[in-house]
Amino acid sequence: MLEFDQVSKSYPGGFVALDRVSFKLEKGEMAFLTGHSGAGKSTLLKLISLIERPSVGRVLINDVDLSRIRRPHIPFVRRDIGIIFQNHRLLMNHTVFDNVALPLVIEGFSGKDMVKRVHAALDKVGLLDKVRCLPYTLSGGEQQRVGIARAVVNKPPLLLADEPTGNLDPDLSKDIMRVFEAFNQVGVSVLVATHDLGLVARKKYRTLTLKQGRMINDGLLHLDEAPL
Amino acid sequence: MSILFSGRVSSGASAHKVGIARRFIMFWVNHVRQALFSLGELWRTPSASILTIGVLGVSLTLPATLHLLVKNVQQISDSFTQAAEISLFIREGTNATQISSLQKILQADNDIAQVTHISREQALSEFAQVSGFGAALNYLTDNPLPDVLLVLPKNTHADSARQLLARLSKERIVEFGKLDIDWLTRLDAIVSLLRQAVLVIAVLLLGAVLLIIGNTIRLSIMNKKDEIEVMKLVGATDAFIQTPFLYSGIWYGVFGGLLAFLIVEAMLWWLQGAIVSVTSLYESEFHLMALSVTEFFSLMLLAMLLGLSGSYLSVRRHISGIEPTGP
Repeated sequence: MLEFDQVSKSYPGGFVALDRVSFKLEKGEMAFLTGHSGAGKSTLLKLISLIERPSVGRVLINDVDLSRIRRPHIPFVRRDIGIIFQNHRLLMNHTVFDNVALPLVIEGFSGKDMVKRVHAALDKVGLLDKVRCLPYTLSGGEQQRVGIARAVVNKPPLLLADEPTGNLDPDLSKDIMRVFEAFNQVGVSVLVATHDLGLVARKKYRTLTLKQGRMINDGLLHLDEAPL
Repeated sequence: MSILFSGRVSSGASAHKVGIARRFIMFWVNHVRQALFSLGELWRTPSASILTIGVLGVSLTLPATLHLLVKNVQQISDSFTQAAEISLFIREGTNATQISSLQKILQADNDIAQVTHISREQALSEFAQVSGFGAALNYLTDNPLPDVLLVLPKNTHADSARQLLARLSKERIVEFGKLDIDWLTRLDAIVSLLRQAVLVIAVLLLGAVLLIIGNTIRLSIMNKKDEIEVMKLVGATDAFIQTPFLYSGIWYGVFGGLLAFLIVEAMLWWLQGAIVSVTSLYESEFHLMALSVTEFFSLMLLAMLLGLSGSYLSVRRHISGIEPTGP
């Protein structure tokens, strides 16, 4: 499904964000991506969502080399990837409904079909009663869940999350993780970048650990042998 | 359309079994919806919109006013058809039958509207009246004035009048012909100079309109930078993001054009009295012409096109320039 093949990314000025990273994420697999801030987690996600291009190596999704995707086609690739952002990135002057409906509107949905899907997505994250609210009236956790609903509303086969529990308390974090697990159980591949090691260790999921751009761990993470 | 996942069916309306007719209707419904949405956006930022519309209105008023000026001056110049009157002076010693037969021939001519014969005697008495020499003329032993045929051409345009003059001067009994055309030529030249000046000024002002709309749209793109980034991140194409801005441009054009029309109408209403009092002094039948329906729609169409192209230029440059920087 998702494959990194000897991927390096260096920025102008010589800073190496990723150094020969290789891994594979199978269809329907859920994995965590951990590491200190600056270890390259965000860069890795940017390469998948085509915000950045790798300096060396190949990123493949479903055996399609992303370097072959030209600029006009980038939006269509992004429609297949649900992205959840640390700072939510909601449209603050639009209602929750409008925010969640945005990917559907972009894809040309309208009418009942769209409303049905938006309600289904909001139902999954438990925010159906907030449909008409403006995002700033919601709590941080609720805003994050709106972001999740928006990412999954068009049922993408691949879900990326960048620090989805970044500034949430542990209970909320657990809730959000449960939402991810629920999507994973219906066959969505999920890659969650987080520095919340406690959260990762409690779950028995595959963990990819980055340190200064290198992949230093690929497998289960145990707190006692945490390399960080 | 899914590039990565060929079997993926959730991708939008294209994947649904939707008939062509329905899709055609949806296309227009979507456009109307987006147009109304853009109108709402203007409504939500009233002060900025009003300022822009005001500037556009004034910029469009000037070319429209100048156009009206040219149109009205042209109306004046058209009303002086007698100006292209040709005087044919008849050779001395020509008898009355020859003159009246020439008059009949000329009246049958297709290029000539009217021929009037002024005999030597008529001319003398008229001269005596008008010149004020009156009694002094009685001392003349014989009448020095020739017979004159006044010819009014059908086509009063300077060039064709001149051609007609050349043709009529060749008549045997005609001593020479005279066409008082110089001042008409001058008026024509002035009108055409005016028209060209108006054209240049209009082009400059319309260019200004283009830039104003472009800049306004640029500012609203910059204001929505975050929103545009989010839309790009969830898969919006540039075209999708552009549409509302293009509609904003069109709306600016519509309102700017309407404002210009209102200003012009108000100005005409204001000037009407003054112009009537001036023209009554010249005893001319002058009617101030307002914008016709066609001209009104041309103004609106022009304004909308300028709005659309101004915003298109801006949108092309700036929307592709905004790239999301992160998750």
